Amino acid sequence: MGGFAFMTSLRPRRRSDSRNQIWNWVFTIGSVLFCLLILPMRLPGMNILGVGPNWLLIWIVAWSISRSAFESAIAGIVLGLLQDSLTASFPTHALGLAIAGVLTARLQQRRFIREDLISIALIIFGFAIVTETAVAMQLTLQKIFDSDNALYAHLGSIWQHYQRVALSSAILSSLWAPALYYPLKRWWEKYAVTE
Amino acid sequence: MFTLRRWWDKNALKAGLIFLAIGTAWGIRQTNGGLIDEAYQVITRPFQSPSTQKQIENAYVLELQQRVIELENQNQKLRELVDYEEGSSLDTTTLAAVIGRSADLWWQQVTVNKGSRDGVNVGDVATGPGGLVGRIVNVTPNTARILLLSDPTSQIGAKVSRSRSTGYIRGETGSQATMQFFEKIPDVRPGDVLVTSSFSRLFPQDIPIGRVASIDRGTSPAPEAVIQLSVPISNLEWVAIHPYEPKLDVDAAPAQIVTDDNP
Repeated sequence: MGGFAFMTSLRPRRRSDSRNQIWNWVFTIGSVLFCLLILPMRLPGMNILGVGPNWLLIWIVAWSISRSAFESAIAGIVLGLLQDSLTASFPTHALGLAIAGVLTARLQQRRFIREDLISIALIIFGFAIVTETAVAMQLTLQKIFDSDNALYAHLGSIWQHYQRVALSSAILSSLWAPALYYPLKRWWEKYAVTE
Repeated sequence: MFTLRRWWDKNALKAGLIFLAIGTAWGIRQTNGGLIDEAYQVITRPFQSPSTQKQIENAYVLELQQRVIELENQNQKLRELVDYEEGSSLDTTTLAAVIGRSADLWWQQVTVNKGSRDGVNVGDVATGPGGLVGRIVNVTPNTARILLLSDPTSQIGAKVSRSRSTGYIRGETGSQATMQFFEKIPDVRPGDVLVTSSFSRLFPQDIPIGRVASIDRGTSPAPEAVIQLSVPISNLEWVAIHPYEPKLDVDAAPAQIVTDDNP
């Protein structure tokens, strides 16, 4: 996924380019794998009310901030499916992460945000709430339209749970955002420069 | 045709990559993340702590106490009932260490380090120091995922050990759960021990769950009780896994499933 933009240009490349490209792929996929493996861990300081930071959301924001809306949506879907694989296929996380990716890309294109760490933390705070809302909406729609198979017995319990999850996830994700955002961003910037 | 061809020449790589990325993610999803679970098990192996013995012993004593209470009550019932059928005792497949928690914020799950290679199957029941923990929902060769009883989606048929009042328990994500009774005026007091009932389809009967913390008699249609779960869900380290076949064909022969509560 490391750079659709340059790969589509068919100019002849030097050998160091292709080597860089491979490293970029290794880093990108490796960082996703790292996020997936850290998700089930509850290390000290990463835990409020049994809830951990949403690492994949931080990743998707870092990815989308310098890419097009289409690339962000694809990455969001891929990460969402991967997170589904670790929990359950319904409600899917792909929707929320894709929305977060597209919105980040759009915000960046309109120059609404700057790329310093404080604004990144704020964006992630907002999008953590958006992604959790996407999950809660799916559960609510399921409860309304397919009541027999609904996972939750009451609408009230979904939104009660949502409040707790959205808030603690937003706080933790935005606090931990720099730890993941900064290295990812630096790598992709450095890579773009050598390109 | 030519423009299509030219578009394809230009974007073939891109399209292929997108297809590959989504295909891979889809594949991993369809296999329930087996690969990732296995990798997680390998990576966290050095950090999988041996149990803190004392904590487990304390909780184990508590479990034994609850079991004794349950057995006493059962014994009393036995004297009253002539045609009492013996409750099934649990075999233990294996002991497993908890190596991970849920990968998102909506599910209350734990990952343990034993899987199908150790004879663990989907539908098996997990107990821990203190009583019931949950049931296995996904298995890979070396890991298994347990849906905890504290998950809001898990509902467990339960009964008050002392009075045999029945109802079901719903998780509340923390160390407490809510129990809804089937009767209008159940015989229940704070401090009563709760065990899984024989009405439960997914769990064998008579596994300790917790104690009644408080009762709200005002709710409709039937009273609700707040349950303090006896298993320390938030710092669970070891679980025992017991083989169990969920009784999913309850509609077929209800008479065979109801064993001791309704003789």
